[in-house]
Amino acid sequence: MKAMNRRKLITVSAVIAALSLAVTAVPAQAAEVGVSSREIKLGMTLPMTGTASLGYNKIPGAAKAYFEYLNANGGINGRKVTLVVKDDRYVPTEAVAKTNELILKDKVMALLAPLGTANVKAVAASVNPARRGVPVLFVNTGFSGFADAKKYPTTYTVLPSYIMEAKIMGQYIKDNFEGKKVGLLYQDDDFGSDALAGFKTAGVNFAVKVPYASGSQGAAAAAGWITKFKAAEADVVILFGVSSATSAMLGVAAQLKYAPQWMLGSVGGDATTIKLTGVPAGVLYNAIGFSPVPATTDMKDEYVKLFSDIYAKAVPGSTFDLNVLLGMNSAFMAAQALKAAGQNPTRKSLMAAIDSKGSKFANSALVPLGYSKTSHVGLTGYWVGKYSPTGDLSPIGGSYVTYTTDSGAGAVVKSTYVRPAMPAKGLPN
Amino acid sequence: MHKKQSRDLLLFILGGVVLYFLSGMVDELRVYQGASIAVYVIAISSIILLTGYSGQVSLGHGALMAVGAYAAAVARIELQAPIILCFAIAVLAAAIGGALLGAAAARLSGPYLAGTTLALAIGLPSLANQFSVLGGEQGLLFDVGFPPLSLGEEFTQYKWFFWIAALAALISMWAVKNILSSRYGRTWRAIRGNEVAAQLSGINIARSKILAFTISAGIAGLAGAMLSMTIGTVSPSAFPLALSFSLLTGAVLSGITTLGGAMIGAVVLVAIPEVADAVANRIGSSERVTTNLPGFLVSALLILTVLFVPNGPVEQHRARKAKKKNYLS
Repeated sequence: MKAMNRRKLITVSAVIAALSLAVTAVPAQAAEVGVSSREIKLGMTLPMTGTASLGYNKIPGAAKAYFEYLNANGGINGRKVTLVVKDDRYVPTEAVAKTNELILKDKVMALLAPLGTANVKAVAASVNPARRGVPVLFVNTGFSGFADAKKYPTTYTVLPSYIMEAKIMGQYIKDNFEGKKVGLLYQDDDFGSDALAGFKTAGVNFAVKVPYASGSQGAAAAAGWITKFKAAEADVVILFGVSSATSAMLGVAAQLKYAPQWMLGSVGGDATTIKLTGVPAGVLYNAIGFSPVPATTDMKDEYVKLFSDIYAKAVPGSTFDLNVLLGMNSAFMAAQALKAAGQNPTRKSLMAAIDSKGSKFANSALVPLGYSKTSHVGLTGYWVGKYSPTGDLSPIGGSYVTYTTDSGAGAVVKSTYVRPAMPAKGLPN
Repeated sequence: MHKKQSRDLLLFILGGVVLYFLSGMVDELRVYQGASIAVYVIAISSIILLTGYSGQVSLGHGALMAVGAYAAAVARIELQAPIILCFAIAVLAAAIGGALLGAAAARLSGPYLAGTTLALAIGLPSLANQFSVLGGEQGLLFDVGFPPLSLGEEFTQYKWFFWIAALAALISMWAVKNILSSRYGRTWRAIRGNEVAAQLSGINIARSKILAFTISAGIAGLAGAMLSMTIGTVSPSAFPLALSFSLLTGAVLSGITTLGGAMIGAVVLVAIPEVADAVANRIGSSERVTTNLPGFLVSALLILTVLFVPNGPVEQHRARKAKKKNYLS
């Protein structure tokens, strides 16, 4: 009985071994992954649920709204663009798992706008899209490290880096708040350390710095932060965290009637998102904010007008805010990159297209794009604005004055960039 | 005894050969899932040893996996140790953790032991936030390096992970099987059966229980290091409470006393997220459902298993066969 079982086992193993040798002789597929004759598949990971998802969960709807508009107008050389979205709850290990699914199971051509410094870093280290040749387009984070083309050869940034933002903030503080005490709220990971590096270069000396651990933000934590800022008698408080941290801080501050001069970082500075959590618009009044793209209430801007029309038709009832504008902007840039990649786009031709033509891609930003064969850096600057009594950000003095800088020791300069006109109907030409 | 051991060794080697060929014929996603299955097999076998054989409930094996994973990552980063040494350090560190836990818990049993281990599962991973050398919430990178060039250009990273994890699983399963059929295994079964009787026959209860915890923790540490290898990072978020529950569920599914069933539990645990994904897509649900469905399925499976197949499917099948045999004879 035992001998027969053993023989059976050996026979079965031998059969499997033989079969596997035969099957491995089958040749591999020839077409580019994620590209078929009718469709191009892109993938996105970001927090759709969980503590950090506030505001950002509108981005997929925004990007998909643009792609639907694009597909209704012929797509890219006849192919429809589809976006597969996975929720990573802002947890880096989940981002790795979901990105694995996107690349291995959904077989997307490229990753579009993955969100979160720690998440993109974890994915780069373990899924390693660079080694697989998978393009990572327009990452939704400002971490300056992603500009390193040696470490992240297939990654393209779009948002100005946190170092750039901190330098521009630092310059504004030097020009307008000389001698005042400044406090900083920042996230306790690479997102926050990037900001700290920028402020150091800008020469800002903080009276108090309050870190928060990602995931710990909430009303209780915010009360603790305010105690520290009050104790240090900060006149200016910079909020350099995600939207949920900013909202928690402003909400509790409103209750405690704590009202320093607020300065909001762009990551957590979207007014619509903040107001959705119940923060009274009055709290935002006169706070200082920064944005590289036009104000979302500026209907005179042709991009804002077109994008908000498209969004209103696709997602009726949802407010057009900064997250939506940036999401549609990245989708628009991705569409132009895909068009420029040729009649039969491949991952390589997509990246080559961004390298050679990317700096000329039409987009709503008021600062130029810096893509080239040697640089994968997108936008490099901001305009400074103040929040109105209704809590909407608009440029100080009424017209956009943009400042650009780099992630190194370069100075902050006023930009002379004039944005070219939008291509017809907001479609890639 | 000698013949049985050499037969088992042959079976394990044969299993290795089969896996070697299988890894060549499936696509990368399956290979990656294969690596995850191997990790779960190691972890589940550690629970079977501890709970099924020595009768001690642990809801905190996720924390022991974390200890192993962090030890391996720190060894890699701070000491630049070769990978095999990192895994050995993982086993050692987790075993020490297990010995301490066992010493503390030797007098506890049942729900009190479960509660203690639960507290460990909740509290231990967040300890990483207190020490900067452990990387905080963002965690540490754990890089086992690329596969050697001698295997060819086309040899993918995930296949390399699968080979390492599968090899570790085979070796640890073989080791656990031997331990369980040795004097120690018999001692543990005696303790689980009736502690007083075991004590009366001269078994040192405390020492045996601590030994069970130590060995089980060491194996869990190996599983933790393997898990970190597959995701490339170690962070508290990789070892949530849900992991400890999943492991217990996997062990119950396999049959808490059946080492051979560990594969069943491991495959089910890896299949659940895929099943949940398919179900969620079919019914076109909201994000919140999609995120929580896998956890819900794990819990539902645990409840159903305990209700209908409490000894595990393999035991159930054997019992039914034995009953039939008795009935016929």
